[in-house]
Amino acid sequence: MIAPQAAAPTAILEVRNISKRFGGLWALRDVSFSVAEGQILGVIGPNGAGKSTLVNLITGLSRPTSGQVLIDGKDVTGSRPWVIAHDRVARTFQIVKPFRGLTVRENVAIGAMHGNERDLSVRDSLATADELLEMVGIAKHANDAPGQLSVADARRLELAKALATRPRLLLIDEVMAGLRYAEIEAAVQLIHRLRDSGITIVAIEHVMKAIVSVSDQILVLHHGSIIARGAPRDVLSDERVIEAYLGNRYVKRRST
Amino acid sequence: MGQFLQAAAYGIVQGGLLALVAVGFSLVWGVMNVINFSHGAFAVTGAYVAWLMSQRFGLDPFLAIPIVAIALFGFGYVIQRGLINLIINAPIFLTLLLTFGLNLVILNGLQLLFTSDDRTIDTSYASQSFALGVVNVPYGRLAACFLAIVITVALALVMTRTRLGHAIGATGMDRGAARLMGIRARHIYAVTFGIAAALAGIAGTMIATVGSFNPTTTPGQLTLDAFVISVLGGLGNMYGALVGGLVLGIAESIGGLLLTGTWVNAIAMAVLIAVLIIRPSGLIGKAQYSGRVEV
Amino acid sequence: MSAGSDPGSPAAVLQRPHRTRVQVFVDWVRSRRPANSWPALLGLAGFAAMLVLQQLIEPGTQRLLTAVFMFVALAQAWNLIGGYTGYASFGQVAFFGLGAYTVAVLMNNYHVSFWLAMPVAILAGVLFAVLIGVPLLRLRGHYFAIATLGAAEGLREVVNNLTPITGGGLGITIPTFGDQVPTPYFGKPGFYLAFLVLAAASVAVCALLARSRFGYAMVAVNEDQEAAGAVGINTTLVKVVAFAVSAAIVACAGALYAFQQIEFYPTDVFDASFTVLMVIMVMIGGSGTIAGPLAGAVGLELLSQFLRVNLGAYNQLIFGAIIVVVVVFFPQGVVNYFREALRSREFSVLGNVRRYRL
Repeated sequence: MIAPQAAAPTAILEVRNISKRFGGLWALRDVSFSVAEGQILGVIGPNGAGKSTLVNLITGLSRPTSGQVLIDGKDVTGSRPWVIAHDRVARTFQIVKPFRGLTVRENVAIGAMHGNERDLSVRDSLATADELLEMVGIAKHANDAPGQLSVADARRLELAKALATRPRLLLIDEVMAGLRYAEIEAAVQLIHRLRDSGITIVAIEHVMKAIVSVSDQILVLHHGSIIARGAPRDVLSDERVIEAYLGNRYVKRRST
Repeated sequence: MGQFLQAAAYGIVQGGLLALVAVGFSLVWGVMNVINFSHGAFAVTGAYVAWLMSQRFGLDPFLAIPIVAIALFGFGYVIQRGLINLIINAPIFLTLLLTFGLNLVILNGLQLLFTSDDRTIDTSYASQSFALGVVNVPYGRLAACFLAIVITVALALVMTRTRLGHAIGATGMDRGAARLMGIRARHIYAVTFGIAAALAGIAGTMIATVGSFNPTTTPGQLTLDAFVISVLGGLGNMYGALVGGLVLGIAESIGGLLLTGTWVNAIAMAVLIAVLIIRPSGLIGKAQYSGRVEV
Repeated sequence: MSAGSDPGSPAAVLQRPHRTRVQVFVDWVRSRRPANSWPALLGLAGFAAMLVLQQLIEPGTQRLLTAVFMFVALAQAWNLIGGYTGYASFGQVAFFGLGAYTVAVLMNNYHVSFWLAMPVAILAGVLFAVLIGVPLLRLRGHYFAIATLGAAEGLREVVNNLTPITGGGLGITIPTFGDQVPTPYFGKPGFYLAFLVLAAASVAVCALLARSRFGYAMVAVNEDQEAAGAVGINTTLVKVVAFAVSAAIVACAGALYAFQQIEFYPTDVFDASFTVLMVIMVMIGGSGTIAGPLAGAVGLELLSQFLRVNLGAYNQLIFGAIIVVVVVFFPQGVVNYFREALRSREFSVLGNVRRYRL
């Protein structure tokens, strides 16, 4: 008798042969990967590698030219952003997009109101917002306008907004850019705590130190294709990755 | 067939005239993001100025054009510098409201001064026409159309070849950067509006020679036409205004031939909406100032 | 890695216990108590005051107030789609005319009672709003404005040309005399009451919507549609619903207006300056609030009537001049100006002008 093989757990996110073309330019070319639940996947790559495009395709902000996006095995390719948000996927924007006419608390509350916890009243959403603001560390700004926040606090607001929708999968787009050393430390801590509470995280990042200390696995994009995937240490010493970032001559000099 | 050609010919020359009405409106909208509700009122003011010149001094309207242009330019400059500049940074609909109020003031002022009777400027030649094959082409409209084309081309050249034109274009694309380069934005805006007012006045003069006008219905009709043509041609696009005018002129003319009643207007609106949905930047290409950074 | 022991931890915050349906319902009922009840009380008081006032004033003033009530409703309706959601519709008058003609045609051609015709008129407005809203709400800013303007103009022309049904350019009349009358004419007091109820209803509906989750969704769509979509707001639905509710109110006003006027032409009820008046009332009062359009409608309509009565031929000119002055000095709207001035204790009007100037 052949022992029945245990079914492999469905990846929470699977991207199959995704390509995206803008006119004559291929932003992404035949990209495939999957993320298991509870993982933290880091995505790095030189500027223009297609990282933000990838997030936009996964979250429905734009439509892939070809390929599929699957959440928990369900094909969500081409779905509108709010449909995907209700599949418990949330994201932050690289250039933060707060709702400027509302207070910080209201910004977060909107996520709670319209996210995955459907029956929340306005008042309860505001209360939830307060809890989330406390968690990310900007509770003292609850009544301020988003425009008054510092860069780091604005990023925290962006994160709190996304978390308010109660996601299982969170895609964060370059949260560390422009942060000071201590702020980066705090952000890394926060990401770890989020994972501990059960959220799968895909983090697009440029800041190497941060991405290495945060990720279980790293994916490297270059000119729209994956050139490496694996544990942080392995990926960063991969020749192709070094060449992509630092150029041909550096690689040659290293090997001589 | 003969009727069709006649309608087409009429449509073309009418279209040139309409383009002249629209080109200033499109410029102001494209460069300054100001929708001038009182544009038609400026045109009619120009018509009255020319009419006065004709009544008092017997001046031929075509000769009165420079006077009209200068007068309206000054008027427009002052209005922009003194009023509209004050709310440039507010949401766009405030300029719409301001120009709406302005429109009421100008229209009623004209009405009080001149009564709402229809007026026209009679010239010996404007109503005559010459025959081009089977088609009759009226002199007046032909002259207006010709003038419209000349002015549009001249304006386009000014915009692309002169320092002033470059300044206007730069301010339209990125006011903050333009100011950092030393361009006096308040003055440039006022000049642009003045040019638009002058063009409207010239168009009004032309309309006075080929037809009649009054302060109650003419301005609204002209502003609406300018709206439609600007959208069709792309905001801030001079040649686009010309094309848009021709399209509208021909469409209205042939439509009037084929359809009864005022179905023509309904069709025009449907076309407008279709263009907006399918190709919002206008029929012939990019609206010139679609991406704008305000300072 | 204890998940729930620390109350402030992400786990505790992010993973709530599942609530049963009963618990959800009880929470909902509890949350119905508004946090701030004095606006509602004020509104009720105002409504009662208007009812009392009716007994005290003469017919001429009744007519004036009736017009004010109508504009209050129209302004609130525009504010919903233009102020909160940020899609300035310049074709609102289309729904007004549609409501008016629906009622007129049904009452004149088919002898339908007004009480049946009015809901049909509202439905017609909603359907038309959905019909043109779905394609047009994809447009941004001033393109949406022109497109709706075009739709309104187009609708007028269509009505103008459907002469066998609508009477076309010759106008239409609602029968109010004789035995065949579908509904007896309300008379001035009746219309005063009807428009008052409409005004009160629109203020109430808009106020409730504004404070609800839907209200926040409208503001979010206005501010940043991409961000709104990313947090789960169905932006298309929000826009269309706001547009449709707005249309319903306007169509209802048009229906009442038709009955009140008895006889009218297409240009009367499809008058584009109606739309501009609505916009002016909201903008001068202050968009994105409930009090703003209310103040704007009352203030401007009263002003307009006052000028008409007292200044005769000059009234439109002065009206236009006043609009220019108010827009220049109070670009954010009079109500918002006072609100901010009270908050920051800065009352300088000239300072206000400097905020938006080039």
